[in-house]
Amino acid sequence: MTALLLDRVGVTYPGAATPTLRDVTLAVPEGELCLVVGPTGSGKSTLLRAACGLVPHFTGGTLTGRVVVAGRDTRDHLPRDLADVVGVVGQDPAAGFVTGTVEDELAYAMEQLGVPPATMRTRVEQVLDLLGLASVRGRALADLSGGEQQRVAIGSVLTAGPRVLLLDEPTSALDPAAAEEVLAALTRLVHDLGLTVVVAEHRLERVVQYADHVVVVRPDGTVVDGDPERMLADVAGAPPIVELGRWAGWVPLPLSVRDARRRAAGLRADLGHLAPPAPEDAPAVAATLLRARGVHVHHGSGPVGRPLWRTARPGAVVHAVRGVDLEVGAGEVVAVMGRNGAGKSSLLWALSGAGRRSAGAVAVAADAGGISPGAPDGTAAGEAVLDPAAVAPDEARRHVALVPHDPAALLFRERVADELADADADARPGAAAAVLAEPAALAVQLAARPRVLLLDEPTRGLDYPAKRRLTALLRRHAADGGAVVVSSHDVEFVAETADRVVVLAGGEVVADGPAARVLTASPTFAPQVARVLHPVPVLTVDALRRALGAAS
Amino acid sequence: MNGLHPLAWWAWAMALALAAARAPGVWAVTAVLAGVVLVVAVRAGEAPMARLFPAYLLLGVAIVVARVLFHVLVGIKPPGPVLLDLPTVRGPDWAVGVHLLGPVTTTGLATAAAAGFQLATLVVCFGAASALADPRRALRAVPGAVHRLGTAVVIAVSVTPQIATAAATVRRAQRLRGRPERGWRAVRATAMPVFTDALDRSLALAASMDARGFARSTGPRDRLTGPVLAGALVALALGAYGLLAGPAGVGSVVALLAGTAAATAALVLAGRRVHRTRYRPDRWGGPETRVAASGALAAVLALLGPRLGDERAGLVALLVLAAAAAPALGGLTAAPGAGPRLALPEAAR
Amino acid sequence: MTQAPARTPARPAERTGRRRVRPGVRTGVALALASVVGAVAFAWPLLLRPEGPLVQAEATPVLLAGVLVVVLLVTAVALDDGTLDAKAVAVLGLLAAVGSVLRPLSAGTAGVELVFLTIVLGGRVLGPAFGFALGSTTLVASALLTGGVGPWLPYQMLGASWVGLGAGLLPRRVRGRAEVAMLAGYGAVASVVYGLAMDFSFWPFAVGLGTGLSFVPGDALGANLHRFAVYVAATSLGWDVGRAVTTVVGLALLGAPALRALRRTAARARFAPGGTPGDTPDEGAVQGARTALATTRRPRHADAHDEG
Repeated sequence: MTALLLDRVGVTYPGAATPTLRDVTLAVPEGELCLVVGPTGSGKSTLLRAACGLVPHFTGGTLTGRVVVAGRDTRDHLPRDLADVVGVVGQDPAAGFVTGTVEDELAYAMEQLGVPPATMRTRVEQVLDLLGLASVRGRALADLSGGEQQRVAIGSVLTAGPRVLLLDEPTSALDPAAAEEVLAALTRLVHDLGLTVVVAEHRLERVVQYADHVVVVRPDGTVVDGDPERMLADVAGAPPIVELGRWAGWVPLPLSVRDARRRAAGLRADLGHLAPPAPEDAPAVAATLLRARGVHVHHGSGPVGRPLWRTARPGAVVHAVRGVDLEVGAGEVVAVMGRNGAGKSSLLWALSGAGRRSAGAVAVAADAGGISPGAPDGTAAGEAVLDPAAVAPDEARRHVALVPHDPAALLFRERVADELADADADARPGAAAAVLAEPAALAVQLAARPRVLLLDEPTRGLDYPAKRRLTALLRRHAADGGAVVVSSHDVEFVAETADRVVVLAGGEVVADGPAARVLTASPTFAPQVARVLHPVPVLTVDALRRALGAAS
Repeated sequence: MNGLHPLAWWAWAMALALAAARAPGVWAVTAVLAGVVLVVAVRAGEAPMARLFPAYLLLGVAIVVARVLFHVLVGIKPPGPVLLDLPTVRGPDWAVGVHLLGPVTTTGLATAAAAGFQLATLVVCFGAASALADPRRALRAVPGAVHRLGTAVVIAVSVTPQIATAAATVRRAQRLRGRPERGWRAVRATAMPVFTDALDRSLALAASMDARGFARSTGPRDRLTGPVLAGALVALALGAYGLLAGPAGVGSVVALLAGTAAATAALVLAGRRVHRTRYRPDRWGGPETRVAASGALAAVLALLGPRLGDERAGLVALLVLAAAAAPALGGLTAAPGAGPRLALPEAAR
Repeated sequence: MTQAPARTPARPAERTGRRRVRPGVRTGVALALASVVGAVAFAWPLLLRPEGPLVQAEATPVLLAGVLVVVLLVTAVALDDGTLDAKAVAVLGLLAAVGSVLRPLSAGTAGVELVFLTIVLGGRVLGPAFGFALGSTTLVASALLTGGVGPWLPYQMLGASWVGLGAGLLPRRVRGRAEVAMLAGYGAVASVVYGLAMDFSFWPFAVGLGTGLSFVPGDALGANLHRFAVYVAATSLGWDVGRAVTTVVGLALLGAPALRALRRTAARARFAPGGTPGDTPDEGAVQGARTALATTRRPRHADAHDEG
């Protein structure tokens, strides 16, 4: 039986010159995990919205063709009439919460559908158990972690008892552990309950092994679908395992680390016979550009307007960063990793000088010389250093600039061109789509030509080609004599970009060393290629190519 | 979610407000005030709004002080033993020619203070209701006829702290730009991203609500609701006007009650169109009835007080106090496992 | 979003959607009657006759507040019909949230000024009924979050709702700078009138009946108003003027971009009345369905129907 059927569907948004989707014909069988992939802005979200009736009833626009989901045609049914057969979770789950606590949110959909109270109680209990939320059932939604919020959002549509579940980028903002929990929940839904789950994702490395069906949305709005091995052989943005498979010529392509390891026995043997590939050479540190000593950051109590549902006591102080020491040299790209709440953001804000710093010293080299490596806290022998928190923001920005987690907060003009003109950068052509907020913010901050660039989670929402462009940009900045500190969950991105990795947990540094060593030391942080080729410490496909190329 | 149904506390508090407004003497008013403060002290516990109660007490004090000041400054002083012999200053003609200051008598002062005290107690009753009634439960108990607007209030209450945080984030991010704008540009730079972000969130929220079946009313549009609503409003208008202007007190009260009844009827009628169930509906049980009854008893005692004569004023006051403070006993005698009767955070258990 | 009537057939639903939440007759009547009761409640001292039963009760505004609660409930029932769909409710909630954040920011100066910004802007873009609902919702939400509930709350709710209603009734065709100026002027007037109305209704409550600045029931209207003027000048004129000034400045600074943002959102939301499938079909569903069907049957006209 087909859970979702699209028949020659085309979607054009109001005011758009070209259709977002063209002539899409697709049949998703029941009980499968279907993965929708495609470059940013290609229409994955539109496909999901069309499947639940939000296009055209909610967003407007023209929908040609027919969409039949769980036996109901979206032409005749409004989204609210499809609520009991289709559940959709958007990109930002927290923005979709209507109530204040977990249980109320889970029950909300059932209340709207008029489900009898006894059934409601049973279903809420079942969903709590299914998604592992029983321990947080009474908590306020604002107190939950990202992974818990994502699961509550899934639960809130699940209680209505749908047969089809649509998720838009469920793991983009989550750290690896939380993403694993969400994916485990989804696979449980597919395998145990027989639901059909359609997931649109950029970060394919974790989810591709569970997919039964892959739909590729091309930039021109057309769509092809089929088996994962077949589809991923051609797609531009593919996870490292698939790239490894393509390069090694494995047919059919391996999708999970286990499959790839079985094929890679020969490759491991070859690599083992060579001299161990030199780890990504830590470039000889020319000069230290940024030195932090004993940085502590405390966060105080809540914001204006005490929320009714918060359970944290007022005045609770969070010790986000505890005594972190960090030195960053010219030409280095340092990645800061750690789970959500480990203090990465707080650390970066403190280093930039714009965020709170309760204790400790941050010194940034103020001239071309840099801080001599051994000198304590700079200012030795006529060096020019400055504390970014102590100088005017304008001045500080010329030496160390931060691109924050939410880049849109940085931009407040109404058009990107105005922003860029305002930042004294060359006006870049292009549409001011929301997806360009990150590069626009990056462009704005780069316009000040800082030597040290700090980035807080820059990869959210970026597809593989965009991540590669970002990697190239950051490496170029480092090669030109600057330094980059980037905090990220994305292990693959870190493997491609960073020379050095610092791991934070509970506000403290627990590991600091060359990327190859730190990333391969722990399974959670190991990139896919490293896991496949374990114990050979190779992080990426490019590194593998270089190693074998150098040997031959 | 423990605690009593919010309407119970409001019924109790409003009955006590009535008692305070109609109390026969200062002692009765004091009794009401004491009862209210006692109950709040015992029962409020960790309620989110309990912190605000001292502010209401301060407001009450301010009302009394303001009344006294007004009396001293511009009051028409009644004859009596003089407390403060202040000179009478005649105000300028444009200012009504009022007589400022003047000899302050104890009678006048006492009257002014007593009137202020009565009104202050009234305000404190409202404060007690705010402190004791759980707004979370009140929002969940919104009737079906107004559930859309109720949802809007719930959304507003949930989202406000996030907007406040967003404003702080934006302010912080502006500093990253290197030119923290000053003055009016700062306002614009901070306010506009927050505002546009709030509007974008609203559409995402709406999509989520729509996809979950919000506002699935599937009954025919009721022809009766409109006229009933109009009738209710007309009755309320007439009743209020009559109460203020006309001599017929009873008729006006009847009109007001009829208007309220019509409003309730309209609520029920309109609610029938909305097919929606409640997850854990709040029950009105024994404790709620007892609390409401104690308030009603206090009101009745206060209203009947004058009939018992002045010499029994003290007794009346004591009875009023007992009735008003009865809910406090409920808190004291509750089983150890049952109180403080508000949900503790899961993490604290 | 600009209209393109020439390219779409003459089905009114298919043009760019209404940006306002259009009230039905029921709502209009309810708002009018509610305003009558509200006027009685605010101007109650003027209606007080010496022989009435309430003449000695200084706590009258509290009683009238109770009446206003019922009135507001009735109005809410009238507003809360099929015209409010999920988008309208979400925008209402979010704008009320913004207003609630603004309210405590002006603490120390009677704390209500900045709230009128969102109410005036919301009422202007989204219509008088929406403005009315926005006023009440903002005040309720901010009371639940920060202020607590007192006898003045129903008065404040009604006053703020009137401000929103008035903003929606201003001439529609004015745009650009003139629009911002008009709104700023309206905001100033509305703030002052709001302040005066609140002062008037609580005048006997604050001052009592036995002073030289009190209301004297039965006295000439002119004399009473004179006393009221002096009372206001002595006590809260500073706050009222301050409130007016802040509202004007806020609207002048933020009016233009905020209006643009609101209009963009309203255009994206395309508020379509969501009726019941039974009698008045949901316009949104109809236009979506019709568009889909039409273009399926006549694919060569697909480009002409891109408004949808």
